[in-house]
Amino acid sequence: MVNVQNVTFSYTKRTELLTNLSLKLEAGRIHGLLGKNGEGKSTLLKLISGLDFPKAGSINTLGFDPAKRSPEMLRDIFFLPEELPQLTLSIANYEKVYAPFYPNFSSEQFNAYLKEFDIEDKKSMLNKLSHGQKKKVFVAFGLATNTKLLLMDEPTNGLDIPSKGQFRRMVASAIDENRCLIISTHQVHDLDSLIDSITIMEKHEIVFNQPIEEITKKLFFRVADRNEKADDVIYSEDTLRGLYQVCVNTTGEESKLDIELLFNAILTEKNKIVKLF
Amino acid sequence: MNTILDMNRLGLLFKRYFTENKQRELTFWGITTVVFTLMHLAGSREKAISVEMFLYISGFIFAARTFKAFNFTPSGMHYLLIPATHFEKLTMSIILSTFYYFAMILVTYIIGTVLGTSLGNLFFEMHNPIQFALFQPAIPDFVVNGHSVYNSGPSLLNIFTAFAGVQAVFMLGSIYFKGNAVGKTMLAIIALVMIMGLIELFLLKVTFGTYHLNGRMLNISITPEHNMFAGLETVGRIFKYALIPFFWVVTYFRLTEKEV
Repeated sequence: MVNVQNVTFSYTKRTELLTNLSLKLEAGRIHGLLGKNGEGKSTLLKLISGLDFPKAGSINTLGFDPAKRSPEMLRDIFFLPEELPQLTLSIANYEKVYAPFYPNFSSEQFNAYLKEFDIEDKKSMLNKLSHGQKKKVFVAFGLATNTKLLLMDEPTNGLDIPSKGQFRRMVASAIDENRCLIISTHQVHDLDSLIDSITIMEKHEIVFNQPIEEITKKLFFRVADRNEKADDVIYSEDTLRGLYQVCVNTTGEESKLDIELLFNAILTEKNKIVKLF
Repeated sequence: MNTILDMNRLGLLFKRYFTENKQRELTFWGITTVVFTLMHLAGSREKAISVEMFLYISGFIFAARTFKAFNFTPSGMHYLLIPATHFEKLTMSIILSTFYYFAMILVTYIIGTVLGTSLGNLFFEMHNPIQFALFQPAIPDFVVNGHSVYNSGPSLLNIFTAFAGVQAVFMLGSIYFKGNAVGKTMLAIIALVMIMGLIELFLLKVTFGTYHLNGRMLNISITPEHNMFAGLETVGRIFKYALIPFFWVVTYFRLTEKEV
């Protein structure tokens, strides 16, 4: 679905933002793209959708060269940016104007998603809505386009606590084996139990890209007692509840993935973890 | 699927434009009609220059806003991701900023002239005839029995050509410059004119050995039967008309290369 090969990108001539980056993303999954601020997560999404062009390397998105921005590709991509466009349109008019560009758009789904987000009045003007409300409209529209590729940059930013839950439910129900969703975020808790593949960027490179089942097969996440000693611990965080640990899964027993713990573990003990996969 | 120009997608782009800008369009053309009406209250003769000035100035402001979406990155991203080809997006912009705008100015001008002259006659007890000065020369060729006689109307095509040229330049400016495209495009034009002037001075120096001719004129006698500039005139005309699509093509490539 998305194949990034040895891509190098920079906004200025002096500093490279992405260096020789390679990544393959498959359909039927919700990929979480994690990384610290300024690592190039948003840039990677822009490169995949053809909004920026790589300086070196190649990208294949849905079988197309994204830099050409052909309508066949664009009608199967929906990109939800972190900041939203300024549009002086009502929700109903937004649907009327933009939905025909997407052949698989479902008006019923759009209405259902809006209803779930408690947005009843489609006559509301987009430019008069709060950032969170506006984001809900765009999330609902993006899911209703039924595009093969959905790119979301910090989708939960600006959403209130109940809306984050609604967002997770909607996304989980909207994804099937033909669709691929890439969510870039640093709010890992919002994606808990939603994403099924984790991609981590560090120092402008992809340092980790594994499906959840593979991660839980190789790693074991646990809360241990402070006095407990174990040899298989890769990374440990001391919290009020005890020691949060990432260990080598030697027993084959599955544990609940703690994305934040994994993220911190990879940033600290990258080589030890990568070696396991 | 047509990968260059699909009429359905082009239609959708127009629908998008008019739905998003309905209020602005209605307001602007309403104001334009009022301006033309007021302009013609005291009669409709010799207003061609004012109308032309209005056409050019308001036109280039409109053209300079063609790609205003790029002034704000998320809006620019949204625009580039609309599933239509660059050619369709550019075609829509050309039609809007050049043909549609010119046609709307003519429509509002005709309405304004008729309304203005009629209201002027009604309220100020005048008997001015309704005349469309834009379609006639500003100064009458000669006067017979107190009536102005216009031998040949100014070519509307000439006005349109000049207008299309200005629009094409400002449309390129609107995608080339991020923010304040009107001012930056004007500065670019001034800089270009200055460079051309310097080249002219340089050529003068090379040809005549001086930067100025000390007030002397070049005395070249050309008889009609020796029309040595006939070929050059044709080249000039071709150049004038070719300049418009040239700017469109440059705008197209700029759009295809646009990154946000």
